[in-house]
Amino acid sequence: MEKKANVPRRPIWTGSLTIGLVNVPVKLYPMIYDRGISFRFLHKSDGQPLKYQKVCTKDQKVIPWQEVAKGYEVTKNEYVIFDKEELEAVKPESDRRIRLDKFVDYFSVDPIYFDRSYALMPDKSNDAYGLLLTALEKKGKAGVGRITLRTKEYPALVHTYKGALVLTTLRYAYDVVDPQGFEELKKLKEPEKAELDLAVKIVTDLSGEFDVTEYKDNYKQKVEELIKKKLKGETVVVEKPVEEEAKELMVALRDTLKQLEKK
Amino acid sequence: MSKKLTKVEFTNLNKTIFPKLKITKSQIIEYYIKTAPKMLGFLANRPLVLTRFPDGIDQEGFYEKDAPQGTPSWVRTVKIHSETAKRDVNYVLCNDLDTLIWLANLATIEIHMPFSKADSREKPDMVFFDVDPEPPATFDDAVTVALLLKEKLDGIGLESYVKTSGKKGLHVIIPIVGEHVFRETRAFVHKIGQQLAKEQKLVVSEFTETKKPGKVFVDYLQNSHGRTMVAPYSLRAVPEATVSAPLEWGEVEKGIKPTELNIFSVVKREKDPWKKIFENRQKLKV
Repeated sequence: MEKKANVPRRPIWTGSLTIGLVNVPVKLYPMIYDRGISFRFLHKSDGQPLKYQKVCTKDQKVIPWQEVAKGYEVTKNEYVIFDKEELEAVKPESDRRIRLDKFVDYFSVDPIYFDRSYALMPDKSNDAYGLLLTALEKKGKAGVGRITLRTKEYPALVHTYKGALVLTTLRYAYDVVDPQGFEELKKLKEPEKAELDLAVKIVTDLSGEFDVTEYKDNYKQKVEELIKKKLKGETVVVEKPVEEEAKELMVALRDTLKQLEKK
Repeated sequence: MSKKLTKVEFTNLNKTIFPKLKITKSQIIEYYIKTAPKMLGFLANRPLVLTRFPDGIDQEGFYEKDAPQGTPSWVRTVKIHSETAKRDVNYVLCNDLDTLIWLANLATIEIHMPFSKADSREKPDMVFFDVDPEPPATFDDAVTVALLLKEKLDGIGLESYVKTSGKKGLHVIIPIVGEHVFRETRAFVHKIGQQLAKEQKLVVSEFTETKKPGKVFVDYLQNSHGRTMVAPYSLRAVPEATVSAPLEWGEVEKGIKPTELNIFSVVKREKDPWKKIFENRQKLKV
């Protein structure tokens, strides 16, 4: 059941890594998948799929996309309104470059700042890519820079992973809570020596290598087993309503099938 | 439904695709179903390029070469290496009615096809003259040039076929036997274009002159592998929902309006002027 994540087909960004005067043309591919189990909401009584609609809170009318604008809530119930063009105009210019201005020890960056990882692949020329990869591997270093993806600019770390360059976007300092803000920490006491020795011994005894494949999503597995069981029994089949339009299509279809048979 | 008529599951049938004429996706599918008997023969075994407008033609559409994700297993595709993209592109082949319906259900408006088939890509089976007027030159000017072109081809014993592009020009085709290569068809079209340019001031035959206002360019460059033309009977993504419609030469005269050949009128046409096109494959003298 456990499948490897597929290699994506299309890059989401192309540009280049620049280090001083050196340019490394690269393509950026997503490499993280969130693969939980997804459910669809159904109508309990007849098992038919439910859909979302945007409803005006004033008159309960369903609003089509063309009539939707974006509003920023300034104070409660008071909005400034934006149309698509206005927001488009202030989008950060997608700089096609990731400037690496510094190299740091990969392990000196706390994983708490790691946001999302993307595979960097060579674009056009392989040489510069290979060179940077080997140099980083040799020194155990990672490049620090920034990248603009869609509308957001991120700090980013360019590092090596299984023989490839990987870009990991980072969180901003202000996006991460400083745990020293929690009151609970202020009540911590210095542990007794004997207790500490025991705790350290336990930690030492249980020390090992980390292997991510030892961990499975137990909930997902259980739900998948349930799905299998249910499949053997009863499932709810979605009845597609044959709309008037679809009926007309069926008439046309019969006619065409007849004509094609004759050929 | 007792028996399933198609493998395709229709979705979003009521979605408006041509807002000006309030044409829904259901009508697009119906058009392609009704046109299939005339159209399928042209598409068979050609790697297709599609333009899709899932949110209607007023919204951004996309130009699609790769078979989209979720392509059903019964849809035939062919892998072709692209020099420009530097990767294999997985093209859709539309060899049956179900595939055509499936494409229409994906909000495919325009279907573009190459001049050769997937199994003999270097050898075109048609010569393509793109008669393309540059404003202020009009469709009428394209008609003048196309008629002159037909006369010229008749003169050297070649029978040609004509269709509207669905936009502002005309397309003229000569079906040919499979022994020519694109270099030859390109040179042939270029040569004829140059001769026309000498005889008729309206005509330009060189790529550098393409954008000359008021001129009609006879485009020879499309006769290359990987290039495409909009398929006969394909819809066009323009507000009037026009069709690239095959015509009889007798119908080609000044004053005809390409916008009158559209999603509504073309299905009613009894005429099928290109019906015998592949039974009339000719040899070029190059």
